[in-house]
Amino acid sequence: MATGLSKNILLVDDNPLFLKILCQAFTTAGFNCHAANSGVEALQSLKAFKPDVILSDYEMPGMNGLEFRLQVLQIDALKEIPFLFLTAHEDEGIMYTGLNLQAIDYVLKTTPFDVIVAKLTNLLHTVSKQRQITEQEIRKTVAALNIKPVPAVLPQIDGFEIDFWHHSYQNIPGGDFIDFINTGNYLFVVIGDLMGKKWKAWFYTFTYLSYIRAAIRFSVITAHSSLANTLQQINAVVCQDEGLANILSSLSLVRIEKATGKIIYSGAGDLPLLNYRADTQELKQIKSTGMLLGVLPDGFYTEQEIAMAPSDQLYIFTDGLIDISSGGKQKTDYRFFANQMSGYLQAGQLFNDIKNNLQQKAAGFTDDSSIICIKKINTHA
Amino acid sequence: MLKIVNEHPQYIVAKVDIGEANLTHSDQFKTELVSLLNYKQRNVWLNMEQVTYVDSSFLGALVAGLKYALGAGDDLVLLGLQKDVHDLLKLIRLDKVFKIYADEQAATVALNQ
Repeated sequence: MATGLSKNILLVDDNPLFLKILCQAFTTAGFNCHAANSGVEALQSLKAFKPDVILSDYEMPGMNGLEFRLQVLQIDALKEIPFLFLTAHEDEGIMYTGLNLQAIDYVLKTTPFDVIVAKLTNLLHTVSKQRQITEQEIRKTVAALNIKPVPAVLPQIDGFEIDFWHHSYQNIPGGDFIDFINTGNYLFVVIGDLMGKKWKAWFYTFTYLSYIRAAIRFSVITAHSSLANTLQQINAVVCQDEGLANILSSLSLVRIEKATGKIIYSGAGDLPLLNYRADTQELKQIKSTGMLLGVLPDGFYTEQEIAMAPSDQLYIFTDGLIDISSGGKQKTDYRFFANQMSGYLQAGQLFNDIKNNLQQKAAGFTDDSSIICIKKINTHA
Repeated sequence: MLKIVNEHPQYIVAKVDIGEANLTHSDQFKTELVSLLNYKQRNVWLNMEQVTYVDSSFLGALVAGLKYALGAGDDLVLLGLQKDVHDLLKLIRLDKVFKIYADEQAATVALNQ
């Protein structure tokens, strides 16, 4: 058996005894079983629980199985869930109508319970396998296109060491993106997080990255734009682009002047940066004022200079790192992550050590996670 | 996912009846919220006291709902945010775009002034 097969089932039947026994059979076979006594109850249950498969009785008082199936098909988030009918007897008319409603199969109620369980288990394996094949095909296509939301090489700049760590949620490209844009006098460090997950978010990151790259290049060519203005311009374009309606993103922009090492920062709905002072061993938060890109036409963007002495470090990261799973429950805790980072740094850990620590925990992360480290290594003339 | 708990001529109070609000809920939540705004054509006050965690997909759905409401001349108000959720909204400045109150009574007092 493949490991990690998700086995959540919704059983719907108006016969409480049959439902109870069936539920016991599935639970014994390792399923997470939700039971509903009617179509109405099942629809209510589906508001909070998304099963991998639905097995519903056909003949029920009130809303019958076909009507329940029709309701499920109306809901985008649920219509792709494999659906099977339970029937008391073979009736070709019912079967024909049901199959037109994209029900995968029929199961006769007289079928032994262990056979029903085996049938559903096999079905979930087939669906899972098919999903894996589809994902592999998408991955191959993406690899062939050679487009990545994170850079392949690290930037080189006098006086600084810059490195990053990135982890895709479930190894599927998602909403985080990183870029280093090298212009004549400046290096721009870009890190953002599109709100959403997996392929859909990943797809939009490239539109965002195109706008960000263009706005930064224009700001350099025209040589008058402040970083906050650049952010405002990106936001204005995003807000006007109908293709990005309701696609929001955080963005941290850091500009390093090559000649002087001067660092300017502007942020859009991003998490406070963490600035480690080597002399005091303090980790300070640096907050921006700007709104997430795409929320409001005026995003209240401002910029600030960040002073760094040799051995000081600046950490910029996305929200996947502050989500923690505790006792089976999800929690967002910025302070916990900041304290953890503080502990690592005060213990003298280098970014490579921190990357190793993160990598060891990565399997438990529930979102894309990215962090950039900018370390000052010497003073500029 | 959205349960109407109170109806007023100016606003509807709807409870979000999920604990961990994430990617698996965000599309359906957005659909229900937009339907509610369309159907009732007035402000929606979301009671979020049951929600212990929101991920970025769900936050995106909340903002999409807010933008839809504002576009229709209505508003989306958040009530009863748990501390972790409220802290996250403050961290990323979304507390500046949403009107946030402890409960319906606090919102009534604040919005009637």
